[in-house]
Amino acid sequence: MSAVIFFVAAIGAIAGATGVVLIRDPFFSVLSLVGHLLSLAALFLLLRAELVAAVQVVVYAGAVMVLYVFVVAYVGGEEATLSERLRGSGPVGQGLRAGAVVVGVAILTELLIAMLGTGLEAIHKDGAGYVPGPHAFGTPAYIGQLLLTRFLLAFEIASFLLLIAAVGAVVLAGRMHEHAEPEQARVGA
Amino acid sequence: MTTSVLALPATVGYYEPWWIQIIKAIVIFAVALNLVPVVLLVERKLLGRFQIRYGPNRVGPYGALQPLADILKLLTKEQFRPRTSVGFLFALAPTISILTAVAAFALIPFGNVQSIFGTRVGLYGVDLSIGPLYLFAFGAIAFYGIMLGGWSSGSKYSFLGAMRGAAQLISYEVSQGLALVGVIMTSQTLSLTGIVRAQGGMWYFIPQFVGFVVFLVASFAETNRTPFDVTEADAELVAGYNTEFGGGRFASYYFAEYLNVLVVSGIVTTVFLGGWLMPFGIHPPGWVDPIVVLTKMSFIVFLFIWIRATVPRLRYDQIMSLGWKVLLPLATANALVTAVLVVVTH
Repeated sequence: MSAVIFFVAAIGAIAGATGVVLIRDPFFSVLSLVGHLLSLAALFLLLRAELVAAVQVVVYAGAVMVLYVFVVAYVGGEEATLSERLRGSGPVGQGLRAGAVVVGVAILTELLIAMLGTGLEAIHKDGAGYVPGPHAFGTPAYIGQLLLTRFLLAFEIASFLLLIAAVGAVVLAGRMHEHAEPEQARVGA
Repeated sequence: MTTSVLALPATVGYYEPWWIQIIKAIVIFAVALNLVPVVLLVERKLLGRFQIRYGPNRVGPYGALQPLADILKLLTKEQFRPRTSVGFLFALAPTISILTAVAAFALIPFGNVQSIFGTRVGLYGVDLSIGPLYLFAFGAIAFYGIMLGGWSSGSKYSFLGAMRGAAQLISYEVSQGLALVGVIMTSQTLSLTGIVRAQGGMWYFIPQFVGFVVFLVASFAETNRTPFDVTEADAELVAGYNTEFGGGRFASYYFAEYLNVLVVSGIVTTVFLGGWLMPFGIHPPGWVDPIVVLTKMSFIVFLFIWIRATVPRLRYDQIMSLGWKVLLPLATANALVTAVLVVVTH
């Protein structure tokens, strides 16, 4: 059963990821990314990482992608795909295309090193076993403990970064509001 | 697929052999399917009373068969779709709504682990170690039901309704989640049965009153009920995101809305009103538990209908400022104060 679910989710993840790049209409591109993220959540469930699966859906499919869907639905579809637009824009486009190839190869090499170096050792083993109890592997209690002991510094830095982002958003929105004020007053009058 | 999803995540308390889980999945779906027409009828009857008229009273005794007639009417209608719509998304969107509502219903515990004919069965679909997070995960997917429905209709009214719904859902999901944090910190567990057991001394709506009110208001917004029903706002948007839907697809949206009301009442019952526990230390036999839960749920459903009949619809900017400027600070303050209290008292 888990093998069936694994292959369904894995095919969904790969199809979703390729769909993001290949589909012309940005709205369907975003939807395909949502499908990809949901398939990843299913894979996390197979690895007994329930909390990670739930967070994956809530944060990525539920919050981040919602904003993408918002923007794409409002702004509407662009006729040309990204690569077509880059092709037609002179030296800048050529530079970007070359850069994209370099970055793509670099990421691929890094992934291959990571995968061949460690991941394949575990390919013939079973995942973490099912252990009932509130402090078992992958439960919120277990991850919370790790975050507040072993990874405390990284956790605090990440939360600080988010705070800065939130404050920045408020400041930017406030500045826009100042500019928009006289116009609104005119509409009101 | 349903059973595998139920069987996969590790349950906190007790979990049963696979065949019991299949039976439970069917029973829970049957209960949900049969509760929705009842809520529909009760709502129409009560709205009638609130507005000093009778409500449905022609089909069957006291109009009791009216929902059945409605469903039959909707299902035999033509499956109409506008020429500008996007075919497969138009068909998919209502099923997403209905799927997420039914999946969330599986979370509500109707009772403790019982012994039925010698087998131990937990009277809930699934008792997860991630509890409320599962609910929010399906809430996040439910957003796509509304959003895709509105977008794929290819109509301006539907699109505006869906956009309003989307903004409203993200805004209020934050307060809804934060309102539960206080309860989770007090009970020290994410499992919903665990939260109910932790309420043996006192139901959480007393010590967590602020969280209770914030959660209730945010839930009204999450289920798109009046006073937060700008997604449908029939005065301005015809019927909002489901303007172009008819027949069975409209019935799906309708069903999902009322099932979501039931889910939210179930969650409020479980988290704040002590679930299957009785007040004053009464310990009834196990078979009473589901009746207790359903009774408490019906109070919350009544509250939903009462508020629908009483409070007028808020304007869109009022909804946004209520969510971000009132509910979110309240929920945050509640979580902070609870955190300090939990640390001090332990």
